[in-house]
Parts: sequence; C-alpha cells; structure tokens
Amino acid sequence: MRTKLLVLLVLASILLSACGGPAVETTSTTEPVVQVPAEPITLKVYVVDFVAGTTEPWLENEVVPAFQKLYPNVSVEFVWGTWSTFGETVAGYFAAGEGPDIINLGSEFNGLYGDELAPLNQYLGKDAWPEIENFIPGTLENVTWKGELRGLPIFAAPRFVFCRTDLMEAAGYTEQPKDFAGWVKFAEDTSKIDTATNSLTQQGFIPVDAGTMADFQWYINTIWSLGGTLYKEDGVTPNFDSAEAKAALQFNYDLKRAVYPDENVGALPAGQGSVIDEDRGGVCLWHSGWAAPALDSAIWEKIDIQPFPGDPTNFPNSKPIAVSFVDWWAVPAYSPNVEMAANFLKFVFSKDNDYKYAEAFPLIPARADAHTGFVTDNAVMKKEAELAASYSYGYAGIIEPTKLQEILQEELGALLTDQQDVQTTLTNIQTRYTQALKDGGYIK
Amino acid sequence: MPDDPYLNTLLMSALAVIFIIITSLGLGALARFIAKLSGSSKLRQADAFTGYLFASPWIVGFIIFVLIPLFTSLYWSFTDYRIPNHPDWVGFENYAKLILGDSGFRASLVNTLFLTVIGLPLQVGVALLLAVLLNQKMRGERIFRMSFYLPVVLGFNAAVLLCWRLMLAAGNGIINQVIRALSAKSILFSYLNRAIIYVVEVVNAFFLGITNQNFTLFNKVLEAGFPAANRVPMWVQTPLWSKMSVVILIVWGCGTMMLIFLAGLNNIPKELHEAAEVDGAGGWARFWRISFPLITPYIFYNLIVGMIAALQIFEPIYVLYRDSATLAPSAFSMVYYLWMATFRFNEIGYGSAISWLILIIILIVTLFQFRAQNRWVNYELY
Repeated sequence: MRTKLLVLLVLASILLSACGGPAVETTSTTEPVVQVPAEPITLKVYVVDFVAGTTEPWLENEVVPAFQKLYPNVSVEFVWGTWSTFGETVAGYFAAGEGPDIINLGSEFNGLYGDELAPLNQYLGKDAWPEIENFIPGTLENVTWKGELRGLPIFAAPRFVFCRTDLMEAAGYTEQPKDFAGWVKFAEDTSKIDTATNSLTQQGFIPVDAGTMADFQWYINTIWSLGGTLYKEDGVTPNFDSAEAKAALQFNYDLKRAVYPDENVGALPAGQGSVIDEDRGGVCLWHSGWAAPALDSAIWEKIDIQPFPGDPTNFPNSKPIAVSFVDWWAVPAYSPNVEMAANFLKFVFSKDNDYKYAEAFPLIPARADAHTGFVTDNAVMKKEAELAASYSYGYAGIIEPTKLQEILQEELGALLTDQQDVQTTLTNIQTRYTQALKDGGYIK
Repeated sequence: MPDDPYLNTLLMSALAVIFIIITSLGLGALARFIAKLSGSSKLRQADAFTGYLFASPWIVGFIIFVLIPLFTSLYWSFTDYRIPNHPDWVGFENYAKLILGDSGFRASLVNTLFLTVIGLPLQVGVALLLAVLLNQKMRGERIFRMSFYLPVVLGFNAAVLLCWRLMLAAGNGIINQVIRALSAKSILFSYLNRAIIYVVEVVNAFFLGITNQNFTLFNKVLEAGFPAANRVPMWVQTPLWSKMSVVILIVWGCGTMMLIFLAGLNNIPKELHEAAEVDGAGGWARFWRISFPLITPYIFYNLIVGMIAALQIFEPIYVLYRDSATLAPSAFSMVYYLWMATFRFNEIGYGSAISWLILIIILIVTLFQFRAQNRWVNYELY
C-alpha cells in the first residue's frame, strides 16, 4: 500500500513540475539581453491600440509577412487587449517577468514601468537608426526614460485650445487670450447662467471636464506653460512649492469661479458629441482632437485652434505648449528577444507603416515625415499636425504617475469645491507626493 | 511546451485532467491508509477510499483556488509587495499605517459608514414598504413585483449606471427637472425640497470635514443658510451630493430584500390578522402589532446581508465616479480604496492588508448584530 501511495505521490509531483513554466529569473536590470536568432524565434506583441477589423488584418496579413521577408526565421503573434483590463494584465507580465516581447503602452506608463523596459538607444538611437530623427521630438520624450529610448511612438494626441469663434465674437473677442488674467476675464465674459434653473447654458472655458473643471493633466499643463517643472533640480524632489505651481493653482481656481460663481450652479446640459459642437454650449475646450467635433463637421469653419499660451505677462519663461499624449510600443527588459523586437519596431514604425497605423484612428502620426495624405488633406488635421510639430510638449518623465494623478485630482477637487484654500492644497500636494516618492523608494 | 498556442492549451487541459485524477486517487489512498492505521475494517477502508476519491476534485479545487490564495494574501498583507518588485516582509507595518496613518483609508471608512448608516435603513425601509404594498391583492400585482425586482436583474452594470448619471445630471437631468416642476407648482414642495437640500448638505459637509480633517466647507454651508428658491440637488456634480447619489442607487436595488419580506409576510398565518380584525384592529395596528414583530427574523436577515453588501460596496461608486476622480474621494468606499491600492497603484501587499482589515470589520459588525438580535428579533412563529 505504502509503495502504491509513494508511486502516486511521485507521479503527482512529476506532473506538477511538468505543469510549471521554466524558472524565471526576474531582474530589474536595464541591460538588454541580446540574442542572435540562430534558431526560429517568436515575437509576442500585446496591442491595445487597434481599430477592430482594420488594424489586426493589416498587421497580421501585410506587416508581418513583409517583415518575415527580411527575417524569415521570425514569427509574430499578437495578443489583442483592451484598456479596461490593461493595468492588471501588464502588471501581471512585469510581476512574472515573463510575457510579450513588445507591449503597447500609454504616455503615463513611461514613469511607471520605465525601469522595467529595455534601453534601446543602441538599436533605435540616431547612430543606429537615422530615421529616428523623423519623429516629432515631443513624442520621443514620451518614450524616453533616463536618457534611453524604450520603444517607439505610434501617434500623438496633443492637447490644444479649441475655441468657437462665433461665440467669442458675440462676447467681443476676436482672438484667444494671451495670459492667465485674460483667460479668467474671457471665461467670465463668455459664460452664461440661466437664472430660472441656476444652470450654465454657455461655458467659457472647459479644461477636459465641464462639470468639475478639475483635471490633473490641465493643471500640469498650466505649470509647464509657465516654464515650471514638476521636480526640483535633483529630478526627484517634487516642486509643487514653486511660484509656477502656486500661480497655476490659483489660475485653476479663478477660472472655475469665473465660470461657476459658486458650487450651486448646475453644469451644462449633458448631450452627445463634442462639448463645443453647435448648441452644446462650450466656447473653448482644452483637450485632444478626439474630444473635438468630427473632422468632417461644418462647425470647424468657426473653430480656432491654438496651443495654450501660459502667462507671459507674469512669467517671462512662459511658452505656448501643446501637451502631447503618445501611445507607444515598448520592449520589456525581460524579453529574450530585445534586438529582434527593436527590429520589428523599426519596421512597424517606418514612414509608410506609421502612416497606415495612425490613419485607422485617425490621429497624427508620430513621424513628421508621415504627415501626408489624410493628415494634409484635411485642414483641421493639417493645422493640428503643424502645431504639434512646433509646440508639442511630451507628457513624460513623471515618477509614480498614478499616485500623482490621484493626489492631484483629490487636492484639485478639494480646492475647486471650496473645501480648502490654495496654500493648503499646495502643501498637501507637496507633502503627499513626497511621501509617495519615499514609499516608492525614489527619495530617502 | 509546444509553440502552437492551441496545442499548448490542449496539452495543459489534458495535464490538468490527469493531475485531478492522480490527486483524487492519491487523496483516496491517503484516506484509506489513515483508516487502516486507525484500525478500521476493510469495508470502512474501502468506503474511505471511495468517499475521498469522489470528494477530492472539490477538495483539491478548494485548496488551490480558495485556501492557497487566502493564505497567500494573508502573507502578502505582512509584506511590502509592489509589482514588479518582490515582496519584502514588513510585519504589521501595513496594518499600522492603515489604522493610524492613512487618511485615505480613514476617509473610505467614513464614507462606507455613511453609506451603511444612511443607505441601508432607507433600503430596508423602502423594501418593506414595497413588500407591504405588493402583499395586497390587486390587479397587475405580478407586473409590479417584476418591475420592482427588475433592478436586481439588471444589476449595477455600466449601461444602467450611465442612465443614472444622465438622470442625475444637475442641469437637465430628469430628476431635477421633476423637482423644479413640482417646486414651481407647490410652495410646500419647494420648502420641503430646500429643507432636504439643507439637511443633506450640512450632514455631508460634516462628514467631509471628518474625512478631510478640515471643516471649511461645513462652515461655508452653515454661513450660506437656507437654500434659495431655485436650488436643486447637485447630485453627481459636487462632493456634497456624491454619496447621496450612491444611496439612491442602493435604495433602487432593494428588490431582493423586497422579495424576502414578501415571503415573510406570506408566512404569517391569516388567522392572526382575522382575529385582530374581529377585535376591531385597523390596518396600521395590525401591521405594527402582528406583521412587524413576526417578520423581524426577515428584517434581521436583510440587515445582516445588506450590511455585508454595504460594507463591500464597489460597483456604483466605480461606475459613477471612476472618470470623475475629483468627486471619487468624497464617495469612495473601503473596497474602492482596496481596488485603487491593488490595481491602480499595484501595491499588492497594502491591498491585501486592506482586504483582511475589511474582513475583520465585517466580522465584528456581524457578530455585534448577532449578539443584539436577542433584544428585538421575534422567533415565536418559527
């Protein structure tokens, strides 16, 4: 009996060990593991930026076969994901130290997984691949971590100020304001409240969210537009006690009160389409092009697009910027096929392929030399692409980005709903973010 | 392992089946061996083998999918485990930080208490009221029952909650449009509406003051005084109304409680009501003197289940406020905070500690309820 039991247990343990994957040595090293593909290799690619029915067949039936002509011994498998399950999925890959050789990331993940991504300057730097100079510089900021390229950008979604010229003119404005005080006055002059319902019927300025007017990306944009930085000179100590951070915060509050005199005023009526579409009530919107009206809408004849100007009146270092959000493909450091993954990146982000990839959405290709066809044929896209090339400012280099987002949203929300004043808000942001960076091991 | 993902899946499935068969046989053999050691007869040994052989697929599943994750999360709760780093043992540091130093968790605890203390009694009350109304014999009774149970079937899915967001819009949402119309028609309704707004805003400002350790907004609400005539609730627009919007959704989902109350009301012997009626008792007296005491076990059950659900509330807050991080802090619950720590910040160790703390809180509250039931629950009929 004992022998039988022993045999059974041994069998079970053999099967159990057979079920387990190969031992994975997880390491935080950023050195790539270069392998010459002496034998057939399979590249796995996790993609979340795709237009169903368009992007998949293009990548699988056109891009991969063309790539295989150059690298016959390489096959490519795609894993089609969604943004709703993205966080857990990708966290699992990095926790296991095993997963796809290429992962599709968003802007904010630069700071979250930067150390876990393979440094690619030796494959994608201008010495190794001169074509890198064709990318919009702001988009490359998004894919760079600690001075090393970690992947390549697909497309750019810069944030501009879209203003309805007809509504501006009705309030006596012929152009967008040039400084903070001008914007506050503009928001006050162009906002309208129906006294019967105590609700807005027209909103002068909408920084992403019309109702709360609190948006961390908008706040960061206002700091950057003043020439301010999120970190002090050491690159890790938060800089929310700076004059720029304070002025930007005060501006956010003043802008809110210029639109909503108090918290009892109802927001604009909910509706479909862009908030600056005809009859929606928005005058100026700071957002990406995808939140603006459809590209073929006639309303574009009455929309002016500009980068956000900052406040040159009070801050001489101010500069017009279009904070650029970039989705990109990155190569994790755990990949055993870093070099081949970099080769595949170069192929997918060639001029023609980047154009085709971005065309499906349609968004501005990250490569400036791909700004042809659908980009230049449409006046709006053309204007956005030109502005992006000149004013693009990468949303990059943010440490513990999800923590900062949460802290900023909470504190901005508290300020803009009169739960606390500007100084308390600044102190809270500085203290909480410093603590988060300490907890994360960035500050001792 | 084969490179082909389909072959790989087939192979893994086959291995899983073989593993289950072998572990089942192993467990059965182990049971027989233990029975033999304890001196059981051959028949008992065979019974032990057969019994454990058939029970073992479930036992193995329970061990792998329940016990191991449970104890793993308990272990992680004592570690600093941030993906993609490895867990580092920190002892009770996570628990100490949660209880003593984390203002966010404190806020989530206060929010959850608010939702439980305000939302649960309202939910139980409305469910009981609906059950009493639907217990009357009337035409279309089944349609009403189905209608009130429908929210449970629909659940808190994204489409339903999106509808609620539109209905609760402060400017042109249908709920506020109705309130405006009724206020314009009736001065009494207008005053009632403004009084409710005042009470809700004062209470919420007070709770926000506790969570933020800052009573600036509370003082502002008091200074502003009684609301103006054109005021309406600012539902999903300001922190003063974010929790009340969730309370409305909690009440809306009272269908299951209503059904349980209906079952309880149907179990009350008709003779008791008939006898009381003969003695001259009216409908109100019969409800308070007969129905209510006899359905207290059902109320107790609903309170226990409702309390556990309220302490674990997540979906309504997630869908209503996930995109409005400005309002989220004024409404997020303990489980929402757990989700943030675990899945937004990838702090698995801290998230595990939160989940164990929630378990302890639920256990304490439930034990307290069981202890207190002797004072008010009537089991005479059962």
